[in-house]
Amino acid sequence: MNFTRTRHTARSQRNNKMATIAFYTLGALVMLLIFWLLFTILSKGLPSLRPDFLIKQPEEIDPGGGIGPVLFNSFYILFISLLISIPIGIGAGIYMAEYAPDNRFTGALRICVESLSSVPSIVFGLLGLAIFAEYFNVGLTILGGGVSLALLNLPMLARVTEEAVRAVPGEIREAGYALGMTKFHVIRKVVLPVAMPAIVTGVCLVAGRAFGESAVIILTAGLSTSGEMWDFNLFSPGETLAVHLWYVQSEAIVEDARQIADKSAAVLVFVVLLINFMFRFPLWLGRRRGR
Amino acid sequence: MGAPVQNLASRAQKSSLAEGGISAKRHNRHLFSNTMFRYYFLFSILALCLVLGLVIVFIGKTALLLFDNISPLDFFFSFNWSPEEEAFGAAAFIVNTLSLTALTLLIAVPVSVGMAVLCAEIAPKWLKSFIRPVLDLLVGIPSIVYGYLGLTVLLPFLRRVSGEGLGDGLLAAALVLALMVLPTICRISDDAIVAVPRKYRDAAYALGSTRLQVIMRVVLPAASRGIISAVILGMTRAVGETMAVVMVIGNTPQLAKTLFTPSSVLTSNIVMQISNVEFDSTWNYALHMMAFLLLLISFVLILIIRILGRNRRDAA
Amino acid sequence: MKVFKKLTVTALTAVIAVTASFAGIAAAADSLKGKITVNGSTALLPLTLQAAKEFQKLHPKVKIAASGKGSVTGPQAVKKGIADIGACDWDASIDVPGFKAFDGQVANKVAVIPFATIVNKNVGVDNLTTEQLQGIYSGKITNWKEVGGSDASIVVVTRAFGSGTRVNYQAKALAGGDIVKKEKNYKETGSSGDMKTAVATTPNAIGYIDLVYVSGSEIKAVKFNGVAATTDNVINGSYKIWAYGYYMTKGQPTGATKEFIDYVQSKKFQNGSLKKLKFIPIAAMKG
Repeated sequence: MNFTRTRHTARSQRNNKMATIAFYTLGALVMLLIFWLLFTILSKGLPSLRPDFLIKQPEEIDPGGGIGPVLFNSFYILFISLLISIPIGIGAGIYMAEYAPDNRFTGALRICVESLSSVPSIVFGLLGLAIFAEYFNVGLTILGGGVSLALLNLPMLARVTEEAVRAVPGEIREAGYALGMTKFHVIRKVVLPVAMPAIVTGVCLVAGRAFGESAVIILTAGLSTSGEMWDFNLFSPGETLAVHLWYVQSEAIVEDARQIADKSAAVLVFVVLLINFMFRFPLWLGRRRGR
Repeated sequence: MGAPVQNLASRAQKSSLAEGGISAKRHNRHLFSNTMFRYYFLFSILALCLVLGLVIVFIGKTALLLFDNISPLDFFFSFNWSPEEEAFGAAAFIVNTLSLTALTLLIAVPVSVGMAVLCAEIAPKWLKSFIRPVLDLLVGIPSIVYGYLGLTVLLPFLRRVSGEGLGDGLLAAALVLALMVLPTICRISDDAIVAVPRKYRDAAYALGSTRLQVIMRVVLPAASRGIISAVILGMTRAVGETMAVVMVIGNTPQLAKTLFTPSSVLTSNIVMQISNVEFDSTWNYALHMMAFLLLLISFVLILIIRILGRNRRDAA
Repeated sequence: MKVFKKLTVTALTAVIAVTASFAGIAAAADSLKGKITVNGSTALLPLTLQAAKEFQKLHPKVKIAASGKGSVTGPQAVKKGIADIGACDWDASIDVPGFKAFDGQVANKVAVIPFATIVNKNVGVDNLTTEQLQGIYSGKITNWKEVGGSDASIVVVTRAFGSGTRVNYQAKALAGGDIVKKEKNYKETGSSGDMKTAVATTPNAIGYIDLVYVSGSEIKAVKFNGVAATTDNVINGSYKIWAYGYYMTKGQPTGATKEFIDYVQSKKFQNGSLKKLKFIPIAAMKG
């Protein structure tokens, strides 16, 4: 009895070691793959990247065009889409997790919301086109692009929030209730702070995806800019960086199209890093102060 | 998890102690905000339902016109998709979509969940704070860059390995997709694993379990709900992804008999053709029906995954 | 979170202020104003964008929004009323194979677009006849040795049905011949850029593309019935694979839209930027 037990333990120990090694190997391989990927993208784009590339106008004939207005539009459209999708998405997620009765209907709704994120983005583009260009007749605009992008992101954001809120242990909540806090007060003061890191992950995922999205923008915000650098007009056409990348890679005639595509891709990756940092920094700061 | 709980509890206590002056005004304000936000959350979910309804009506309205011209039987069970000759059989796309999704998940899920476990349980802190942002970075790479790299790096590689003339097909698409959904599955599972209360682990370690046993028997089952959501979100992204897939799948409407048969899935076919058809043609209705079908397929797939997940959790 | 809130409020205020001031400026100067939306063919997009840029410099009060998704989207968007100009690679006011005429639309010629048959650099063939191309694209010829090359399977790369490039190539190079899908060594691409990359990276590949995109050492244009694909040969009439690019409008164009089309058709633009973009001026074809 005792003998088998030690043998058992020894085997467990060995398995444990091997598994640890396997996990590390897997991690190393994936990281290697990712770094190779990033290196391929950045090494083509970064060496020839000059600051003026970021502010110059795109060119059709002469080489040396920049991405100024499209970079600006990218941020502007992302900002609009997050402005709409974050409050509604998080609100809907909290409702699903905290308020919705736990019945079949809620379950079905949850699956519907999940299926919604498998609708190809081009369908959201067509929907945006039908709403803004046909129904409201405003043509291709930054506003249309931002709102359509928000529609695309809502389901994902709602689901991530719901999961994050649900993962908060019940006892923390109960502690709050025991102190006589109202439901909303508990959510705001107790549940949200604990769920925040996961929600921020969701927002980062969504923002990154929105920043790289092209099909929706082509249909709703167009492939051209107003030609001004700081055009805040919501009704201007709004080509974004990802769309511009698609355009130079697919149809542009200008001779340095390939280089512009490489540089744009590098800038895109960089900006996503920046966005992640921006969203996570306050969180990290807060956690530090909390200690 | 223990420390934050105390921390929060004490914070909550502090704030409620501050209210301890039984300031009725403040209490009323809390009741008011409680009601207000209840309505706000309700409004949010209704807005989400509106979007859902809008998409379903928008696609469905056009899609249902298809069956005025084509019998549903032909659409669902015929393998012949030649819109030029009025033949609209979507069976090949449906089968291809299912096989591509399965293949992608087969590659992506073990790798992503493994990475998540590494991030959440095994790696030292400095490594965690290094891996996580790098994975987030992967999300932001636009799908057409993935597609371009697939076209210029992956395809020549597959061609060399397989000896095929082209290399396009399900395998190439699945590899690209697996890489694209990796961060989604990994980061959300990671959060789910981290959210498993510390005491579960402590209890298992106290019983003399090795780390592997704790991970496999305690942590993963406890986090299974979140991991399943992560897999579902990753899967839906894979099912709906287009721009990268069209570059490496070959876009030929035929059944993928091998991993290297140039073929087409529902999404890639929609994207390739929807901009080239007249909007009041049977062809356009068929493409909208395919989008509707995508919704249905992912609905069914999610249902299956959820049921499987529930059974496993019950067994565990 | 408070910082976010403040930022949001500040940004919103800025948006409103700037929008208002723009509206204020717009009221003054230059009589020509309006908004022109161009949609349709991606092949004509570089031309449209360049023209829009120059035109907006002349008439700052005119706003031009351009987008592209495919040739047929052009006339279709015009029909729906969501675009003023529909760029199209064929004359959409008459029937073409696969597409019915759009009634009540006027086709305005804006450029001549030459197309070329391209092959991967490893292919030894440098001339293909109409019959040979028909054979390759219909799947009857599957090996390069049948058309004078080395012993290797032909990889056919084509554009999706309905692409303007495909419509024109089928009509001119294949003389109306079919493009038939094959179980192997056949793929469809979604844009000119993808076509170029696919042919450039796939050994033994054949495809077709606007002549403008033919550059670099990875791909080469092959002769068509013994005639090289050059702009000169298009103008002197010996190279046959070319087509007009059109701006479709609902009835005769008016106002800003008319001014814009006139500008694109003007000698200044046709012989200047349009030539630099390697399209051929429409006037050149009359000789």
